[in-house]
Amino acid sequence: MPGAKFDIAYLFDYFPKLLSTLNVTLTIVSLSILFGLGVGFLVALPRLYKIPVLRRLSEVYVSFFRGTPILIQLFLIYYGLPEMLKLVHIDVTRTPVLVFVVLTYSLHAGAFISEMIRAGVTAVDRGQAEAAYSVGMNGYQTFTRIVLPQALAISLPVFANLVIATLKDTSLAFTLGVMEMTGKADTLITLGQHYIETYIDLAIIYFVISFALERLFRLLERRLLRHERRERTAGKRFGRNVPSLRGLLAESAGVPKGGAGG
Amino acid sequence: MKLDPAFIWTAFVKLLSAVPTTLFITVVSVAAGFLLGTAIALFRIYKVPVLGPLSAGYVTFIRGTPMLVHLLLIYYGLPAVIDGVSAAFGWSFRSVSIPYVVFALIAFTITASAYLSEVVRSGLLSVSSGQLEAAYSVGMTTPQAIRRIVFPQAFAASIPNLSNSFIGMLHGSTLAFTVSVVEINAKAQIVASTNWKYFEAYIAAAVIFWGLTVLIERLAGVLERKINIYNRGGVA
Repeated sequence: MPGAKFDIAYLFDYFPKLLSTLNVTLTIVSLSILFGLGVGFLVALPRLYKIPVLRRLSEVYVSFFRGTPILIQLFLIYYGLPEMLKLVHIDVTRTPVLVFVVLTYSLHAGAFISEMIRAGVTAVDRGQAEAAYSVGMNGYQTFTRIVLPQALAISLPVFANLVIATLKDTSLAFTLGVMEMTGKADTLITLGQHYIETYIDLAIIYFVISFALERLFRLLERRLLRHERRERTAGKRFGRNVPSLRGLLAESAGVPKGGAGG
Repeated sequence: MKLDPAFIWTAFVKLLSAVPTTLFITVVSVAAGFLLGTAIALFRIYKVPVLGPLSAGYVTFIRGTPMLVHLLLIYYGLPAVIDGVSAAFGWSFRSVSIPYVVFALIAFTITASAYLSEVVRSGLLSVSSGQLEAAYSVGMTTPQAIRRIVFPQAFAASIPNLSNSFIGMLHGSTLAFTVSVVEINAKAQIVASTNWKYFEAYIAAAVIFWGLTVLIERLAGVLERKINIYNRGGVA
């Protein structure tokens, strides 16, 4: 067995030490999601509006970033981008690693976000836009007042999953030597050889953050879907509520139907 | 250093030898994870007293922590447990004799089981209860109804999710390099480090993963169309 003997005292000892690098992890997550939203919009628009050549390009982009592991993408950009930029005489050898990491995660998240935006906008019933026009709204008003809020509510569970997935993916940044939580755990282990204690702490921290994020997004979703709930209760009154297998197997209420959100 | 296109091809050929390892890790962990995940999903749907809440906690915890942490915890934690048990019973078995790939398989199975249990659960819940009632009304027993009516439809409904999980595990298998398993990613590092052509080696690795992913998506698409034939409506 590698490492020192298990000692529970180290669990408490390492906890604040790992937490001190939490801000790096959260910085990577928030910057990547922020830039990812920008990239995602840019990539989604050609496909939504069916622009001839750009549409193919964004399809290839999405396919590539969804079709290769994030770890491979990290290495590809870390080793490849400086060489590419050297061809146009830009020297990036002094750029901090964190920039490459954030860039990779942004491009990765951008591919998933563009799919999310596409799905969200397509899911809003066309009749909604038509109804908005019929009461005299213009294109901009229709989009911001009617389509966007509904598309937002629809894509929120997907977005929540994406943020949490990105949080967990940041654990891979240590392979390039970034001092985020997993990187810090690595150095703590090199110093003390307390593998298990460190990784247990690491698991606890990641779990607490993703659990909190999940709860937060669920609250937000419930708020954004207020209008839906009223509709659903109205549907029940007319006896059109079709029971599912769950209803028969285990009589329960108040649980959302299974799906991507889980 | 300039990009060497010829080396991309050289690396590509060399990396192909690691594809079986990657596929082996993925297939085994998804298959084992599917069985475990089905059990977990059934515990939760039928609300089995102790196992139900336990499964729910397990799924939440595993889905809330990175796959890398599962792998490292198993890799460093499990040998301690095995050696402790072994010593307590006086066996001569020691964890040193376990190959690295086994730890990767165990860790990835745990990861996959949590994600797949959600896939199975949502698949089962998507089957309308009218189907079960209809099965009962023609005289089937519960096991018959579940095996012949519910499972096939649930399977058809969960194919997209299953293929996504499979692709996720395929991409996740790149983490096995941290426990010295030579899969595609580790092989790319080895190939690259001999002459410092990292970019070329990782292009080759990316192409292989991209190809595999597209292939899986296509296969899932074909399977989905085949299996959903019953669902097309109409009379002929």
